[in-house]
Amino acid sequence: MSRHPEVDAAQLRARHPDVFSRPASARLATPAMIAAALALLVFGLVDLDFSPSRLAAGVSQLGWITMMMIPPDPGSSLPLYLKALGETLSIALLGTTLAAVFALPVGLLAARNVVPSTILRFPVRRVLDSIRGVDTLIWALVWINVVGLGPFAGVLAIAVSDFGAFGKLFSEAIEGADQKQVEGIRASGGSALHEIRFGLMPQVLPVIAGQVLYFIESNTRSATIIGIVGAGGIGLQLAEQIRVLEWQKVSFLILMILVAVAAIDFISGKLRFAIIGRRAVA
Amino acid sequence: MLVVDGLTCRFGAKAAVDDASFQVSPGGFVGVIGRSGAGKSTLLRSINRLVTPTGGRILFDGVDVTALRGKDLRQWRARSAMIFQQFNLVGRLDVLTNVLMGRLATMPAWRSLTQAWPEQDKALAMSALEQFDIATLAAQRADQLSGGQQQRVAIARALVQQPDIILADEPIASLDPRNTKVVMDALLRINKHFGITVLCNLHSLDLARSYCDRLIGMAAGRVVFDGAPSALTDHVARELYDLEAADVMGAVPVPAPEGVPALGTAAAA
Repeated sequence: MSRHPEVDAAQLRARHPDVFSRPASARLATPAMIAAALALLVFGLVDLDFSPSRLAAGVSQLGWITMMMIPPDPGSSLPLYLKALGETLSIALLGTTLAAVFALPVGLLAARNVVPSTILRFPVRRVLDSIRGVDTLIWALVWINVVGLGPFAGVLAIAVSDFGAFGKLFSEAIEGADQKQVEGIRASGGSALHEIRFGLMPQVLPVIAGQVLYFIESNTRSATIIGIVGAGGIGLQLAEQIRVLEWQKVSFLILMILVAVAAIDFISGKLRFAIIGRRAVA
Repeated sequence: MLVVDGLTCRFGAKAAVDDASFQVSPGGFVGVIGRSGAGKSTLLRSINRLVTPTGGRILFDGVDVTALRGKDLRQWRARSAMIFQQFNLVGRLDVLTNVLMGRLATMPAWRSLTQAWPEQDKALAMSALEQFDIATLAAQRADQLSGGQQQRVAIARALVQQPDIILADEPIASLDPRNTKVVMDALLRINKHFGITVLCNLHSLDLARSYCDRLIGMAAGRVVFDGAPSALTDHVARELYDLEAADVMGAVPVPAPEGVPALGTAAAA
């Protein structure tokens, strides 16, 4: 005697026909998607002149360049490179700080729990989206034409493009805040300003500080890139040394950048932890 | 004297508070009782104007509270101090600053926004904390306190508002029995010592009976009972709470299992 209920397949099939006979379209959907994706990949490789022979030839070139890079050597330009690295770090720091300072009030305007009206909030959000839609590199090219070559254009490029990113991130952090704490301020007779200052900011500032620190770190890399197009800093030196094939200097510059980014990463990690873990007096 | 006159609060088609009318004389400890969703919370929140009523009026000493705006509204909110079930303290601010939030309506904005609190206000806040034996916690962050301590901070905040009436919205619903007594006793002390009117939402009928000198019963947004606790018979309580009656009146019967439910016929042939 079986302890399991007997199963009448025929009857179950009759009661749940769609479970037992899936239509052909549903069964073929997955293989069809895989085939289509493969076809797209092949088309892309052909259309973009993907050629294994060129890659093979290039790899030997890459090996040769790597050999040329060893040992890294700044020659007599070390003071110049250090100054350029300092410039890059300053661009990242100033640009990010400017962006954060301007983005905070705008982030408040874009947050649903601060500005409930969709009509007022919508244009602010769209402006932030548009600014963010243009990459830092393109902002750098724009500002170089406006204020000329040099670190000032770099600061402006980072400030503007991150203003868009910060505005969005800050507004999301503000929207994620606990509304009960804000309500406590309102119920005690606080004004809208008090609600923001005492209800929202203590909750949101640690989050915002973490984001700003992360951006300073990532902008150290961005500032290198925009230096290549002429916005000053160590990127400019890097681009020049690649152009004149001074590979030992190139590798030294790359190592400098790696060390700087790692150092910033370490410091910002410590700071972020200190801020989030601190006893906030706000 | 608080006068609630035909108060109605609608959210869409549903009336959370439906034509509620009653008066509260100064110095009373009034319990608002009823099942979850009866409109107790909305009633209290509309008196403090956290919720805007859709109909009716609320008068306090002859002033139409429902018509207040701007600075006058903020002053009224300070005079009608709220205490919440979840305490609604700012977790990352220290206890003293949280209590000082109760003074916001009394000082110019530049002072509060720069945290240049007047000496007198700080003294007031510390004395309120001392009364509830939590002055030593003044420098601690509010979110590091236990629930009972947080609610006492919230009561201190309410007290420094120097309110005419305290609106307590389920103040003990998040607390254990020991803290329940501490918090209810604190409210009672404020009521008896300072003569501040307390309007307190309570789910538990036993608590309401032992602390309040008058009960207002709500069901489906309407006021269905208004009288002394002694007038609230078990029969009335059963009508107020319906199926929840047993829960709120102490004796909690354990539901007996009714045997193993039958399997669906399709699986067990």
